[in-house]
Amino acid sequence: MIETVHLRKEFGTKVAVHDLNLTVPLGRVTGLLGLNGAGKTTTIKILATLLRQTSGTVSVGGLDPVRQPRAVRRRINLIAGGERMVYARMTGRENLWYFGQLYDVPGRVLRPRVAELLDLVGLAEAADTRVERYSRGMAQRLSIARGLVNDPDYLLLDEPTLGLDAPIARDLRRVVAALAERGKGVLLTSHYLAEVEQLCAHVYVIGDGRHLAEGTPAELVAQSGCHRTVRVAVVELTPRVEAAARAFAPAVRIAPGGVVELSGPGDVAGALTSTIIEAGGALKGLEIAEPTLEDAILALNDRPAAVIA
Amino acid sequence: MRHAARIFRAEALKQHRRVFGSKLVVFSMLIWPLLTLAQSYYTLRPLAATPGIAERWPLAADPERLLAFLATGALGFTFFFSLVQSAWHFTFERQTGTLELLFLSPANRLVVVVANGFGALVQNVWLFACFAVAGFTLFDVARVAHLGMYAVVFLALLVPAVAWGALLNSLLIFSRDAAFLYTLLDDPMWFAAGVRLPTFALPGWLRAAGSVLPLTGSLVVVRGALLDGRGVGELAGELAALAVLSAVLLLTAVAALRLGEARARRTGQLGLF
Repeated sequence: MIETVHLRKEFGTKVAVHDLNLTVPLGRVTGLLGLNGAGKTTTIKILATLLRQTSGTVSVGGLDPVRQPRAVRRRINLIAGGERMVYARMTGRENLWYFGQLYDVPGRVLRPRVAELLDLVGLAEAADTRVERYSRGMAQRLSIARGLVNDPDYLLLDEPTLGLDAPIARDLRRVVAALAERGKGVLLTSHYLAEVEQLCAHVYVIGDGRHLAEGTPAELVAQSGCHRTVRVAVVELTPRVEAAARAFAPAVRIAPGGVVELSGPGDVAGALTSTIIEAGGALKGLEIAEPTLEDAILALNDRPAAVIA
Repeated sequence: MRHAARIFRAEALKQHRRVFGSKLVVFSMLIWPLLTLAQSYYTLRPLAATPGIAERWPLAADPERLLAFLATGALGFTFFFSLVQSAWHFTFERQTGTLELLFLSPANRLVVVVANGFGALVQNVWLFACFAVAGFTLFDVARVAHLGMYAVVFLALLVPAVAWGALLNSLLIFSRDAAFLYTLLDDPMWFAAGVRLPTFALPGWLRAAGSVLPLTGSLVVVRGALLDGRGVGELAGELAALAVLSAVLLLTAVAALRLGEARARRTGQLGLF
């Protein structure tokens, strides 16, 4: 298990991570969400031993990254988004072989593993082509294979599907889910929240380096105070219809195109449409939108820290 | 040791693919050293006609010996400057993001920087070294005490050069602004280490500056062994000084790596470029 307790990281006067408690167990994909600059990458780099915390403790499988960095490095790997982080003039196979040497993976294990990883990321046919001939997506897929070359217990994924085509991103999600099923501990940051909802059993939300909330995606939505939104499109928005809708709930919003919108707890769709019809309105459409994880993240980020605490 | 050997192999392949795999690299491996050797030779050759030169610098009075002197200088410079180039190439790993990956791995940092320098050195100097040996044999200018001195010459170039490369890599890795070393160690190193001129011809302050460059000590040993026929016993002082200097360079590299990595983990500057 990866565990951070009261983790804090300062860069000069800027506090990038503030008192963060985090747990990444084996056999689960754990999400780490936040807006840009929230401290996600800093946290991941601390866990990867690339940064040292200012205070607080970190444990990776019972090892201390400050005192036992080499032992920690053997058990983890980091995959970041983008096509950098591979050698352009080497082939895909050579890149994986090179990193396998750095991780001291025995030759008899490395050879089949390289072939297996190239196959896994769909690069078997391009294995002996120089990376400079790869498309951006191919280079990114190679970077993913590189992150698995030491068969890490813990995988830190920092925007791993950034820039990938949808089918490849989907395949990667399958790989990540399979890794967790095989007992790996995965920490994932992503701006694709559908990806997080699909993969993560537990999600931490941070903002300005502070812990804002945690739980399953559904629990986060509930904690955020976001509600489902009812959108009723009417053929003609007369003053009488509008007045009736506003009388029904002062929070009603009138969107362009004569759409009456209302967000709130409980099921208000039936009552709102009845009110509009009784006021002489003719319905053109009805939509009920459940709050998404994105709505929850934005709402949590907008809330003052004191409220969240 | 097994892991270290694997890192050496890996770095050699990386160097080959990144730099030395192209046929055009022969220009920097052979053509450029030959041109600079020719330039030095034809610049200094008129000295042979200077009255009294045989007393002040006997070697300059004999064009073949002068050429041998300059060839040993060019050979030594090729060894050491290839490591300056290699360290400069290492700095590009910041831009590609691979520098962080090296430090993400459990590989010993000193082994990585030594292996990187060694890989560059071997692949860069073999052609000119072969050419130089062929030249010495053809012109019959070498005066060697015994055949074992060729091994001493090789080690006197290799060991300090690798230690030098490790130090440069360590410095250039941890400061993205250290690329100025590349300029500083080009012509000034050529000048101060006595590549073209004997160090006794240089002013005292420049001799002092040159004495901290391992190339200076290497050239003293190489020329003593190849041109003056001195044996190990006669060169013992110079060899010991070279060994001490190499050890100091390696220890400084270890310290630079430790301090640099600690600073990088504190500031996060390893990923900046």
